[in-house]
Amino acid sequence: MIPMMAVPASAGATTLFGSGSSAEQPILNVLFRAYNRLHASIRFNYLPDGGNAGVQDVQAGRRLFAVNTRPPLPSDSGTTYFKLFLDGLCVAVNPSNSLSGLTVAQTKNIFTGVATNWSQVGGSNLTTTIDPVGRNSSAGSYTFFQQAVLGGATQSSNVHPVTSDGLVATAVSKDSSGIGYVGLAHAGKGSGVKALTLNGVSCSQANIKNETYPLFRYIWGVLPTGHASRTVETFFDWVRTSKQAGQIIQRAGAVPAFNKK
Amino acid sequence: MDRDAYLDHDPDAGFLEPDRRLSQDQRAELGLGALVCVVVGLLVALFVFVLREAWPSFAHNGLAWFGGGGSVDQQLQAISTSGDLKHAPVYTFHAWPLIWSTIVITIGAVAIAFVSSLFIAVFMVEFAPPWLRRILEPVVRLLASVPSVIYGLAAVLVLVPFIGNHLITQNEKASVTPTIQLSGSSLLAAIVVLTVMIAPIMIAVFADGLRSVPRGWLEGSLALGINRWRTFWKVGVRTARPVFVAGTVLATARALGEAVMVSMVSGGVGFAPNPVDGLIFFFEPSRPLAATIIAFTEELSSPPMKHTLYAIAAVLLFSSAMLSVIGWAAKQPMRRYGLVP
Amino acid sequence: MTTATPTPARSTPKRSGSSASWRWSDRLGLGLAWFLGLLFCAIAAAIVIYFLVEGIRYLRPNLLVTNPAPGVSESQTGGFLDPLLGTLILGAMSMAVAVPVGVGIAVWLSEFGRPTGLARVAESAVEMLAGEPSVVLALFGTILFTVGQLGFLSQTSHGIVLGQSFFAAAAMLSLVGLPMVVASTREGLQAIPSHVREASYAVGKTKIATTRRVLLPAARPSVITGSMLGLGRVIGDTAIVLLLLGGTLTFQAANSTPLLGLLRGTGDTLTGYIYYNAPTGDGNQPSKAYAAAFVLMLMVLAINVGVDFVVRRSQRAVRWS
Repeated sequence: MIPMMAVPASAGATTLFGSGSSAEQPILNVLFRAYNRLHASIRFNYLPDGGNAGVQDVQAGRRLFAVNTRPPLPSDSGTTYFKLFLDGLCVAVNPSNSLSGLTVAQTKNIFTGVATNWSQVGGSNLTTTIDPVGRNSSAGSYTFFQQAVLGGATQSSNVHPVTSDGLVATAVSKDSSGIGYVGLAHAGKGSGVKALTLNGVSCSQANIKNETYPLFRYIWGVLPTGHASRTVETFFDWVRTSKQAGQIIQRAGAVPAFNKK
Repeated sequence: MDRDAYLDHDPDAGFLEPDRRLSQDQRAELGLGALVCVVVGLLVALFVFVLREAWPSFAHNGLAWFGGGGSVDQQLQAISTSGDLKHAPVYTFHAWPLIWSTIVITIGAVAIAFVSSLFIAVFMVEFAPPWLRRILEPVVRLLASVPSVIYGLAAVLVLVPFIGNHLITQNEKASVTPTIQLSGSSLLAAIVVLTVMIAPIMIAVFADGLRSVPRGWLEGSLALGINRWRTFWKVGVRTARPVFVAGTVLATARALGEAVMVSMVSGGVGFAPNPVDGLIFFFEPSRPLAATIIAFTEELSSPPMKHTLYAIAAVLLFSSAMLSVIGWAAKQPMRRYGLVP
Repeated sequence: MTTATPTPARSTPKRSGSSASWRWSDRLGLGLAWFLGLLFCAIAAAIVIYFLVEGIRYLRPNLLVTNPAPGVSESQTGGFLDPLLGTLILGAMSMAVAVPVGVGIAVWLSEFGRPTGLARVAESAVEMLAGEPSVVLALFGTILFTVGQLGFLSQTSHGIVLGQSFFAAAAMLSLVGLPMVVASTREGLQAIPSHVREASYAVGKTKIATTRRVLLPAARPSVITGSMLGLGRVIGDTAIVLLLLGGTLTFQAANSTPLLGLLRGTGDTLTGYIYYNAPTGDGNQPSKAYAAAFVLMLMVLAINVGVDFVVRRSQRAVRWS
């Protein structure tokens, strides 16, 4: 189990059980703690089993809410999606790779196994075999990448599937021939990886906010239709619109969408 | 004198008192017997619950569950996404790549560990100089009790980078892409770390068995003029043979069930390593059964995935139960000689 | 009459150990034994020294007293106080269940053991339990503790039973430690000669009184050995901890009741902490993982030394005539 940093207990506390995206887990944890400081009796227990798994949990009533990183699909019946904030999926390579940018089509070729060697990709100084790293199938990030880049095709079998964004960043930072896709929070300075420009647009907060970056996405809060918990709805409203939440989101590397300035 | 005077200070004496109710012994027997029944009941419950949860997966697949066909990772993905309410649950699952990986890793590790442990145990019990023996015995016991996650940590930080950077060449990587990606997390890493983990256990068990061979038998053989090595090998090792079987079975059960450590180094891809690939076979990633459970354990809440994971657990459960039975049966000959190690 | 010393018809056979009686296959065998033995020494030394060096390099006293905290760099992420306490708590809880139950079962098997069918079944059950992978026990625990009736052992919220808590993990871990206690205690009890029991019965003691007053005290070293071996297995287990303890790096109590709230809540242990901070886990701070591994190994070493000490003391104990 990937550990969850829930918030401390207090008397008369309600625990809200949620699950979903692990890419957004770092941001969510900070949001949970900040909310708990405002409302001491509300605590969160969040299981980062992947966006898709989180939605299933909500549908089956196993969890009160979920957080997903892809837009709603017909299979998500019985749930309602709320936009929380913006994020981007960056494509990152090892800093020793001289490559600075790719097109979406080139990325697709790499992750579907059409391009297997760095020498086939223009702009790279390497001649080694490409080592692609990606997310596993329960991740919302994977589904989003599948839709937005692979055109619905499945990841090639030589893509090494790992269970969290942090692990993608780790793998790419340690392998000079590596390439992977991570959320913006894991591709910043100090993460050990270099984010590429996609179709000429760099993966930055500004480009995500004005939606010029191809892989921008909304982070969605998911609630069961009809019998959602009022407490969670209030929490989602706070995340969407409050100034404090907006600052937290900004500092964590994502992009506030609707928050008051 | 009061007949019971000397009994007044002894609260445990019971046989001189009339039987008004269940005697102490009967109560104790019932109480302890109930305790035993509870524990046996728990084990039975373990089997029943795991089988009950595993049944849908076996029912949908039949014997094809153990066969091959299709990418096991894609099947697992399909199972996981079918857990929502819109789709009918998908259970198609052909676990052969996982089973093959388990077989190769377990048998590889047990084979290497068996041969090494046999000779090392013989060395330790008979031929090592006393000062070395005094050091070795506690060290073997310590290594046998080291938690497996620590071995996994060392393997990930030392062994895996070594294999990835020094043993795998670019040519080898290019020859198997894009089917799989070769990195240090491979069959070789899994076999090595598993061997290192089970060898001390086997050495400890083997050494115990060798030590329980009556010295008189060995001395008799020496007196007949047979050299030390031959004596120990032909008399000592042969007598302790049931212990070797039992120890090997024990180690196999441990190796089979080792999930966390192996999942860290085996590569995490549901791929059946292909022996035809020659040397590359050892560098191919795979994922044995127990590691698969750990890898997908977060999706346990999705019902079809839950049933599939329990099916894998059921296979592990039955394998280790069978190994326990074999191990018990193997120890019987030694009990006949009165040599309980 | 002269008596000549009879000359032997042939020379006496060479004594064992002289080179003439060694075949090359025997030499090979001996050589292999020496080679593998020394190789093992080298590998064992390498492992021990490696962990010693890395542990000392990374273990700082403040790691033992600070809690894990979210952060980005190594200096911000704190130590492993709560995981360390978690290991100790789980060890204590599971042994508190495993030792009495194990001793009880061993006593029943060794002293009572009727009906024989049940005794055989019980023996096999305990042996089977010893060989079970802890992953399977952990999965069984997830079924067991998410049942509504057992919600009091973990947390419930809005009808959802979490099923992960110290109680849940300790319950399954006691099953892991149980077989060691049973085996060792049984061995200890069976090593006591029957005349001791008969002498006790002869003065009028019941079987249970004999066990309590005579046999168990004599078998105490075996009980202690078995408990320590079981404890070693319990603190080294990772799979059950990962599935049944919740994996929150700090204690997250269920409510504010002093002890019960903590035990109903989630937490972590050293093994879970090491797994999290290994390069394959999300924390990915190998230095913290080394430090925690060093502490864990020290605990295991202490347990082993304890077992040695108890065994050696018992060998100096009363000898039955």
